[in-house]
Amino acid sequence: MATTAPATGTRAPRTRVPSVTRRLISTELRLLLREPMTLTFVFVFPVVTMLIIGGAFGTEPDEAFPVNPSHWYVAAYLATVIGSTGLVMVPVHLAAYRERGVLRRFAAAGFPRWSFALSQLVVGAVTTLLGITTLLLVAEPVYGVPTVEDLPRTLAGIAAGMLLFLALGTLLGSLLPSARAAQAVGLMLFVPSFLLGGGGPPPAAMTDVLSSIAEWTPLSLVTDSIRDPWLGLGDGTSDLLTVCAMAVVALALSARRTSL
Amino acid sequence: MTSHPPLDGTGTGGAAAVTVRGLRKSYGGRVVVDDLDLDVPAGGVVGLIGANGAGKTTTVECLQGLRRPDAGEIRVLGLDPRRDAQRLRRLVGSQLQSSALPDRLRVGEAVRLFAEPGARSADELLERFGLAGKRRSPFAGMSGGEQQRLFLVLALLNRPRLVILDELTQGLDPAARREVWASVAQLRDEGTTVLLVTHELAEAEALCDHVVAMRDGRVLDAGSPAELVARHAARATTTFSGPASAVDDLGGLPGVRRATAERGLLRVEGDRASIAHVGAWLVARAPELGGVPADLAVDVPDLEAALLRLLDSPAPDRAADDRPALIGAP
Repeated sequence: MATTAPATGTRAPRTRVPSVTRRLISTELRLLLREPMTLTFVFVFPVVTMLIIGGAFGTEPDEAFPVNPSHWYVAAYLATVIGSTGLVMVPVHLAAYRERGVLRRFAAAGFPRWSFALSQLVVGAVTTLLGITTLLLVAEPVYGVPTVEDLPRTLAGIAAGMLLFLALGTLLGSLLPSARAAQAVGLMLFVPSFLLGGGGPPPAAMTDVLSSIAEWTPLSLVTDSIRDPWLGLGDGTSDLLTVCAMAVVALALSARRTSL
Repeated sequence: MTSHPPLDGTGTGGAAAVTVRGLRKSYGGRVVVDDLDLDVPAGGVVGLIGANGAGKTTTVECLQGLRRPDAGEIRVLGLDPRRDAQRLRRLVGSQLQSSALPDRLRVGEAVRLFAEPGARSADELLERFGLAGKRRSPFAGMSGGEQQRLFLVLALLNRPRLVILDELTQGLDPAARREVWASVAQLRDEGTTVLLVTHELAEAEALCDHVVAMRDGRVLDAGSPAELVARHAARATTTFSGPASAVDDLGGLPGVRRATAERGLLRVEGDRASIAHVGAWLVARAPELGGVPADLAVDVPDLEAALLRLLDSPAPDRAADDRPALIGAP
């Protein structure tokens, strides 16, 4: 017969929560490998487009490209991986879970809501790093990977960009009502960002208006904060600081949404 | 303002697994749960019944800490569901209406994900619920019945003291429904407190020791299924072919309220006990009638009839009856 005495305090949440989060992360990482859309968007799309665009402008610097155009695009496509993870993979995944009641299922089992958001940040970061590694492994024998001129600033650019876009993805996934809506909005944000933000034509080939818009898209800022210190085109400090500020705001908003 | 009994659950005839006082929840301007009081004693299966939109699911979502009540107090196993969510995690097992697992999550992985240290043997539970051979099956590849049984496995995994099951058999075929019912009956036999939310009244009648009928976010009545039937749909009807001259005879039998004849068909209405008297009358008159009529039919009211009557009744007057739904109280 069940009894109903109040529970004792021996099961302190402090010892349980990390365990739940670890279990969620390992489960989500396994599921990631079974997700064709993720594999396509994060691992295949950036690699294929980098191979095409990277070879379209030759290997000699000119007016549009201050360095080898192939290297210019190899560095830029790191931001494409970051953008596709944050704007497509994370929001679609999160919205689908919410729409189908998976998050309710987790919440009813007592998983803290933030633990799922945290697992998404970790899984998104791992996915991004795997995508970047894949991109560089493919680029190396084809175009060569350019020497990194300023490694700390380049890594800081990658880290800040990942934080910004994963937080944006979490925020979108928590706001949009369905996976379809998340996919539509995510693609609508990603494609122009990708074309204007480093994956498409160089700024010199754009009109003044387009170039001005491109300069201020979050993905452009991430691209510049990675590419400039990497290729020695500048230290990228102002871009990096802007990305960091945006990341703080996006993280605060997504933390607020996911802890409700 | 309505006064509420104390939150300690006294008056339930035993320790309360769930105590609710003055629960109120609205979405926008629509009140879904309205000043609800409820006590669920430990042990047995208690059903929350009512039409769609009665406030059943919102009530249990508040019990599970999934929704923040606008007003009122809730204790589940002596704890506050929102403040003590982490402590309640292992004490309450839940199966939710309209919930799912990730499509590609396999049964074995789901069990590992939800199992806390000290959980029951997953092998034993999967075996018991007929899922032992499904360890590598993805959630999306399972039938509706298998998915519901997996939810039961997950709900029971951490040795909960209270299990909340919301529309457990919704969308299942009759065979799968019976399978799941048998599993819940097994829980009841083991003494686990089960709070079953359903609008399937056959399910409530088959499984619940006690039921709480809700409408518009309020409790209409509570008691055992038999008590609710006796209170709200006590009238039984027996019909058979026979001579109109038998009406007077039948009308005088104990428990019979009315006997009528129409086109050779006799209709006898009365309480449940009247059925036995009509039966005895038929046996005694069988030689005259040429045997027991082949078209003999007995309509005994069930919980569905009782609920329909309840739902048709005027709204209860809160001022006149501010007691909580004391399930199991004498």
